[in-house]
Amino acid sequence: MKAVGASLPRYDGIDHVTARSRFVDDFSLPGMLWAKAFRSPVASARIVRLDTTRAEAMPGVHAVITHADVPNNVVGHQEVWGIAPDEPLLAEHEVRFVGQLIAVVAAETEAEALDAVQAIELELEERIPFLDVRNAWDAGQPQVTPDGNVFFYYPDQPQRQIRKGNVSEAFAAADVIVEGVYRPGAIEQAPAEPAAALAIPEPNGRVTIHSTSQALYYSMDITARHLRMPMGMLKFVGGTVGGGFGGKIDTKTEPITAVLALKTQRPVKWRHTREEEMLCSTTRAAWHVEIADAVTHDGWILGRKTLTLHDAGAYMMTSAYACSKHAFHLAGAYSIPAVAFNTFVVMTNHVPTAAMRGFGVTSASFAVETHMNRIAQVIGMDPWELRLKNANRVGDSSPSRVVYGNPSTVSTLLAAAEAADVELPPDERAMTNAKRSGALLPAHLVEQQREPVTHPLVWRDNHPALEGGV
Amino acid sequence: MALRRGRGIATIEYPTGMNQGGDPSQAWIKVKPDGHVDVFSGTVDVGQGSKTVHTQIAADMIGVPYDTVTMNNFDTDTSPVSFGTFASRGTFIDGNAIAVAAYRTRQRLLEVASRMMEVDPEDLEIADGDVAVHGAPERKVSVAEVAATASWTYGEMIAGSGAWMFPHVEPDKETGECEPHAAISYASCVADVEVDDETGEVRVTKLVQVYDVGRAINPTLVEGQIQGGAVMGLGLALLEESYPYYPELSHRGPEFGAYAVPGMADLPELKNVALEDPDPVGPFGAKAVGEMANNAQSPAIVAAIHDAVGVWVTELPARPERVLRALDESRQPRRDGRRVIYDEHLAVAAVSTAENRAEGAWRFPLVSE
Repeated sequence: MKAVGASLPRYDGIDHVTARSRFVDDFSLPGMLWAKAFRSPVASARIVRLDTTRAEAMPGVHAVITHADVPNNVVGHQEVWGIAPDEPLLAEHEVRFVGQLIAVVAAETEAEALDAVQAIELELEERIPFLDVRNAWDAGQPQVTPDGNVFFYYPDQPQRQIRKGNVSEAFAAADVIVEGVYRPGAIEQAPAEPAAALAIPEPNGRVTIHSTSQALYYSMDITARHLRMPMGMLKFVGGTVGGGFGGKIDTKTEPITAVLALKTQRPVKWRHTREEEMLCSTTRAAWHVEIADAVTHDGWILGRKTLTLHDAGAYMMTSAYACSKHAFHLAGAYSIPAVAFNTFVVMTNHVPTAAMRGFGVTSASFAVETHMNRIAQVIGMDPWELRLKNANRVGDSSPSRVVYGNPSTVSTLLAAAEAADVELPPDERAMTNAKRSGALLPAHLVEQQREPVTHPLVWRDNHPALEGGV
Repeated sequence: MALRRGRGIATIEYPTGMNQGGDPSQAWIKVKPDGHVDVFSGTVDVGQGSKTVHTQIAADMIGVPYDTVTMNNFDTDTSPVSFGTFASRGTFIDGNAIAVAAYRTRQRLLEVASRMMEVDPEDLEIADGDVAVHGAPERKVSVAEVAATASWTYGEMIAGSGAWMFPHVEPDKETGECEPHAAISYASCVADVEVDDETGEVRVTKLVQVYDVGRAINPTLVEGQIQGGAVMGLGLALLEESYPYYPELSHRGPEFGAYAVPGMADLPELKNVALEDPDPVGPFGAKAVGEMANNAQSPAIVAAIHDAVGVWVTELPARPERVLRALDESRQPRRDGRRVIYDEHLAVAAVSTAENRAEGAWRFPLVSE
């Protein structure tokens, strides 16, 4: 019997629904301490004074850590891609968002840890937060970072940009230019299981960390950087997680509990409360997308210009990645021969934004597809017809000049029409994903046609990856 | 007051694996002396069922029954690198690494079986836990016998390791030119809604969703991704908002009682279709479905709201207040020659004018220029 293609029961499904699966918070050890966080009450402030003396003397307290206790406090989630680290694990001289971590207590019980958190003294000089991405370059605006409110992909070019074809010619030739603005909001990943970690100091100097990360090696790398320890000194335990949706790439509980475990030489557990999960951990970003399309009366999209402002929040996290990924998808599932896309990462005093399902593309899909529906309305064309005409086909090329080898825009559209009992005209029903020709290959799409090439990584028995021994 | 019905459509594409590549996965596999197979990879099952899919891939690639394969992904001392469970890479990239490791494990089983049976390895095949001679299926030994012989008689180990990565690419600074992803998946969605034009409430009554997943390794889990994605798509289209007065910070919902996620009562009739147009690179032709499953609903729903009541709500979520405001204001696009300009009140130009800017400062390149 073949397993592939069979609806086999989920590997751990019965254990999950009978509460026998063990998640991080199900593990406890003798002598284990509980961590609780002290966080910023405001969106932007200079820290004038932070005093943990009273908290340290509270009953049951074993340690109170601040930035000075973290061997390497400032680490980035995108260092592996060459993006400079910018985010302190624990705030140093300033706070940039409500809920930013300032200090963490480890105590015998959760209640004692919470009491000690309330005994931490903090004096702030509050600043006006910067919140509206559209004002990023206006005079007199608060500056989120010492380098300003806009991230620079290159020293002399802030935006990720995509350029293809002759955009001015496309707009000059258009019958109609349709412009619109799309603003999908920030949302919470809301996994059932909040972030949690349990760090255990081992006798040989290693640290074992039970983690809810959805990327064990990635989180281990970030934790190792914070601790200035080789990855080999850490052991991450996990692999079964109660929902992530992108939110469990944010690696905070692991390095915090590890610092506390090393300092106290006791196992330390920290689990986010639902409030921390909702208010202090990363969200999906809010986006601002403007689109102008050069369109003909008969429903061809000759060119597209876009401007995207990605609300990164107070620290970079994975925003440069997301905003770049976004740029590659602003033509949607269509062939547009002339494009000029500009996408910017804008820093604000919102909670740092990071991955969530559809990262970077959810916003592009919403903007592009709503715009397509508007174009259909403006030129009085059926939205199915508009899509089927412009849908990418074999041999069409993407904004970044990838030649489509096996697109299925047309086939999913036709299958959706059939499933929704939509009667399409026979010429549309007869359309396929195959190369353009005849009426479907108008002059403006000729130049972007290419021969699809066989992918060098095509799976086959003699694939180079299969050569060689164990 | 009236309930008005509308329908909207959307078509989307979504990449498989990390944008710009460079995200490796590795796996290794050992076979116990009784023929049971242990797969090791540092993957994370976030509830989508990756352990199941990876076990299915390993079982078929080696040729053993699914229930003799165990997935071990519980720690980094025993399991090699997976870059992570994100970017819709679990089935495709982790899956390819496991497929390569399984292929090599299969080669080792064939080598040992060849010695036992005195048959050239090329003349052997493995299926359903047996190694048999091509064309002479009665000449066979079980994988369990091969594994036992390797362990106890030959003093050898049967194992295989593998890795897979789409190499990292850098986009051109000026044009963005590059091939940033390993594969692309496609989907279309039809949303039917009812809009109450007095309260502004939108109810999605039906979603028709078609996804090209390349190959459904496990059709039930694909269906689970599509259903779960639909619920999440409803949330971001109609309900969820971390900052209800964005960009202002007030009134954030600190718990589920104050932050609305869709409940079962919000669930529309779902009609889901998975197309299988095999990808040349993915394991057994599979490509991603995980993330894209929450991307098509919101534009389809917003178009359906327009179809129902004639207004475009382009700030998400389309909560009742936004729908009512749009109805009250019944904004029309401004027409200026060939230009049809929607949402001028939301654009950068509406809040950041020439007077606001410092001399010589950078400015956003507006699409209207």
